[in-house]
Amino acid sequence: MTTASSTRQAQQGKRSTAPQPGQIQAGNPHPMNRIWKAARLNLINKWTVYWIPLMILGFIWVINMIIWWIISASVTGSDRQDALDGTQWSGASFYIFVYMLVIGVQAMNMTFGYALGLSLTRREFYLGSTLAFLLLSVSYGVILTVLSYVEEWTNGWGFGGHMFTSIYFGSGEVWQRLFIFTVAMMFFAFVGTVSGTVYMRWRTNGLLVASAISILLIVGAVALITLTQSWHLVGEWFVAVGPHGVVTWMLVPTALSALAGYFILSRATPRG
Amino acid sequence: MTHATDPRSGAVISVRNLTKRFGKVTAVNNVDFDVIPNTITGLLGRNGAGKTTIMQVLTGQEFATSGDVRVFGEAPAENARVLSRISFIKESQRYPDDFQPKHVFESAPWFFENWDADFAAELVKEFRLPLDRRIKKLSRGQLSAVGVIVGLASRAPLTFFDEPYLGLDAVARQLFYDRLLEDYAEHPRTVVLSTHLIDEVSQLLEHVLVIDQGSIIVDEPAEALRGSATTVVGMRGAVESFVEGREILSREGIGGLASVTVGKLSAADRREAAAAGLELSPVSLQQLIVRRTNVTEKEFEIQS
Repeated sequence: MTTASSTRQAQQGKRSTAPQPGQIQAGNPHPMNRIWKAARLNLINKWTVYWIPLMILGFIWVINMIIWWIISASVTGSDRQDALDGTQWSGASFYIFVYMLVIGVQAMNMTFGYALGLSLTRREFYLGSTLAFLLLSVSYGVILTVLSYVEEWTNGWGFGGHMFTSIYFGSGEVWQRLFIFTVAMMFFAFVGTVSGTVYMRWRTNGLLVASAISILLIVGAVALITLTQSWHLVGEWFVAVGPHGVVTWMLVPTALSALAGYFILSRATPRG
Repeated sequence: MTHATDPRSGAVISVRNLTKRFGKVTAVNNVDFDVIPNTITGLLGRNGAGKTTIMQVLTGQEFATSGDVRVFGEAPAENARVLSRISFIKESQRYPDDFQPKHVFESAPWFFENWDADFAAELVKEFRLPLDRRIKKLSRGQLSAVGVIVGLASRAPLTFFDEPYLGLDAVARQLFYDRLLEDYAEHPRTVVLSTHLIDEVSQLLEHVLVIDQGSIIVDEPAEALRGSATTVVGMRGAVESFVEGREILSREGIGGLASVTVGKLSAADRREAAAAGLELSPVSLQQLIVRRTNVTEKEFEIQS
């Protein structure tokens, strides 16, 4: 420790005894700047947010191509048309929405602790993450919309198949498609976010209670609809509002999740 | 522990009556202390004594149950004006699963306005840290190096290191102490260092806070603490007559030799001891603290 002590002597000579005002005063950070940086914290690893999910999507597309090819090679006439029409019920692109949910969970689960380690406030982190998820949702909305048009222009990738123009997304105007894809992404992102914040705040017990409440609400709704014999009304409602209407209604739980997440996280503490 | 009720003006950190409970457990119990700017303060104590909890409250990661905590004159919780000037490096820091060290060194500068990228790059080289390996795959020592580099290169006006070097070998730890002192000399700032390797850091510390079972039991300048006890060694008869009537902290002996640790000695006492042919040696900071926290030295070391 001789070097250490000699360094100490040197610096003690250099140091002034009276504290300068700047050393004991709080800083003056730019809030928008810090929120934007918090957003970038969620997007820093491009592999996680873009390349890996898109590669998986590409793989699913290849598998679908092979299936469409098998159908068109082995079945003929009206049967073939039937089978390929059936692909409009495809859930092949559903995975990308679940992936978005996982991104929401992981942000609250792990990026949160890291963000506090970098001296961000919970508020800055949550607002930044919200901004990041909105940007991600819009960018995926654009990607999926473009793919849905490519699918149409190539007549279902040359086989009449459906992956991005399935029945759930509809085949409306460009802004309708963009809206449906973007809002669906946002819905899953914020459901993931709110689940992540429940875990951060109340750990496993919180998740158990939250799941129990959700299950009770769903079972209660099912019971209500069944006992009042109104399932046909539910079906009619879905048909009447169409994919666009359903997705518009999804904005309500999306916004509620985002708001709840903010308040739940505001008193949460990351623990190792 | 007597303090004015007002936070001391000029202090970077001022804590009054801080209590933090987790359920029925009281982790920090009615604690008062101040940290003055541009010092290195050691926050020492056994595991579970409350060191980490205090630092988490000071950095806004935990909310105090009661009491008044001021950092840069303001309450730290959810306060960006305070937090933007703080760097908190802790042993238990978690990183996103998909992160590599390069992502840390890319994002950390966004939040620390004094960040020195060249210094960070130099430290990466010195700690031999691989930049593009998943953080999950790093060894314990490499993981600690990530935190140590962020803590040093961020040059935050107030830097906390909470047991920052778990898994670092002796060479890497010495590197950390050397770089900390050098950089602190060039860029004065306030550092709070929590550790159980007391003797290793004792040369760094200017002020010592010892916490035991949630209460501060020592709040003294390191220099005063070091002089607060001395070991007297010599022939049994001479030693016994010298220490008679003094505060005796511990006593050992082999054959005709005796070694007795006593409280503070004056200059006259030292001359008297020299005249009697006795040898005086300082007591290490670790031994002193162990004595005050009523544990055996062995027990203290085992906790690591």
